[in-house]
Amino acid sequence: MYPQRLIQKPLIWELGHRFKVVTNIRQAKVTDEIGIVCLEIDGPRKDVQAAIRWLEKVGVNVEPVEISVVES
Amino acid sequence: MEKQEGFMRALKCRECGREYPLTATHVCEFDFGPLEVVYDYDRIRKAMTRSTIERRPESMWRYRELLPVASEPTVGLQVGFTPLIRADRLAKRLGIRELWIKNDTVNYPSLSFKDRVVSVALSRARELGFNTVACASTGNLANSVAANAASAGLKAYVFIPHDLEQGKILNSLIYGANVIGIKGHYDEVNRLCAEIAGKFGWAFVNVNMRPYYAEGSKSMAYEIVEQLGWQIPPHTVVPMASGSLLTKIHKGYQELVKLGLASNGECHVHGAQATGCAPIAHAQKAGLDFFKPVKPNTIAKSLAIGTPADGFYALKVMKETSAAADDVTDDEIREAMRLLAETEGIFTETAGGVTVGVAKKLIASGKIPADSSAVLCITGNGLKTLDAVDGHVGAPREIKPSLREFESLVANEVKTVSA
Repeated sequence: MYPQRLIQKPLIWELGHRFKVVTNIRQAKVTDEIGIVCLEIDGPRKDVQAAIRWLEKVGVNVEPVEISVVES
Repeated sequence: MEKQEGFMRALKCRECGREYPLTATHVCEFDFGPLEVVYDYDRIRKAMTRSTIERRPESMWRYRELLPVASEPTVGLQVGFTPLIRADRLAKRLGIRELWIKNDTVNYPSLSFKDRVVSVALSRARELGFNTVACASTGNLANSVAANAASAGLKAYVFIPHDLEQGKILNSLIYGANVIGIKGHYDEVNRLCAEIAGKFGWAFVNVNMRPYYAEGSKSMAYEIVEQLGWQIPPHTVVPMASGSLLTKIHKGYQELVKLGLASNGECHVHGAQATGCAPIAHAQKAGLDFFKPVKPNTIAKSLAIGTPADGFYALKVMKETSAAADDVTDDEIREAMRLLAETEGIFTETAGGVTVGVAKKLIASGKIPADSSAVLCITGNGLKTLDAVDGHVGAPREIKPSLREFESLVANEVKTVSA
């Protein structure tokens, strides 16, 4: 999930250039307040993890496809 | 799907409608949408009448045709059919004509509504041939999986954040579950558990078993309707964590209408959250159909999900049923817990305080009219969150073992009986 300030940034393009991962958008919804993208990231485990860390570092909220696995 | 499995027909994607076989799977391969169990309602209509239901034992399994098991359930046979209590004293304090409490604080065996979803997930897991079950939880779900797995002889792995309070850990360890504390922040714990669920051949109740697991919540709706004399209440107030319970209560009501077991009348399903974690309530109040994730900060830990998986669907149900949502602060939660305890003798955990507190606001604002009737879903026992009220409910007054001292202490409260 992208916060408002990142909506106009080409983050998925940048992700594909920075890391050896294959990206595949499965669902997306972008409003002027938030961007929600369901993105498949495929590749070696360490590259996938590095890609997720980078996304988090730039301010994207990264969840597994299940969203919240930890319940009360 | 060709194979008949009880009254289930298939798993179906809630986004695109594609159907899948009734296996341990939870997301659509095409759009990653969540899968949901669909049933053969024509066959259920022939098999299930009010009188057949009423003749069965008082547990959630008296509605078994509408629950996702292929044959007789094997786990949690005593779960559910908790009391529906007419709460006149609380109604008077909240300013409403008629109020009911659906009291899952006494659900069996682990004192929360999670026993409903877990007994369904574990019964189905056994049917699918699993002998190890797992979950990722910070409290009630872990306790319920540990307890129900123990009674069924299933091996259980329970994943928790490593810094969870000791009391909550003991409540799972006592049942002999394998409790694994994960060091890391919430998102990391979340992602690791999703990975574990994908890699190990276990029945992860809220991951690959989720389509079955979530259906267990519907039993709360069936019981409410039956206990009200087969009437759907005009207003139901439901606490929201992932938002799943609210959507399933609504689905339960709709199914009873579809089967002709209840009539289609006024029905609003309202949502309750804590102000410190209210992504769904805030979206509802702002008229949005999506929520913005938040970092939870509330004493209502059992509702503290900042990115609720069913938030979108809960918003949809509230819109469809012209319902409202609201949120309450930590102080309001404690005050509501105390109000429920003092008026009805029910000690709820913080989530119940959220439900009562929000009901109070919805009644005061007229969103639930004062001349109407409402059911409040109270989902967990107060003994689970003693720390939340510690220091907020007063303390015992101490005296020496002296009658004179006691008489002096209560002189202004009671009349002394003369000898």
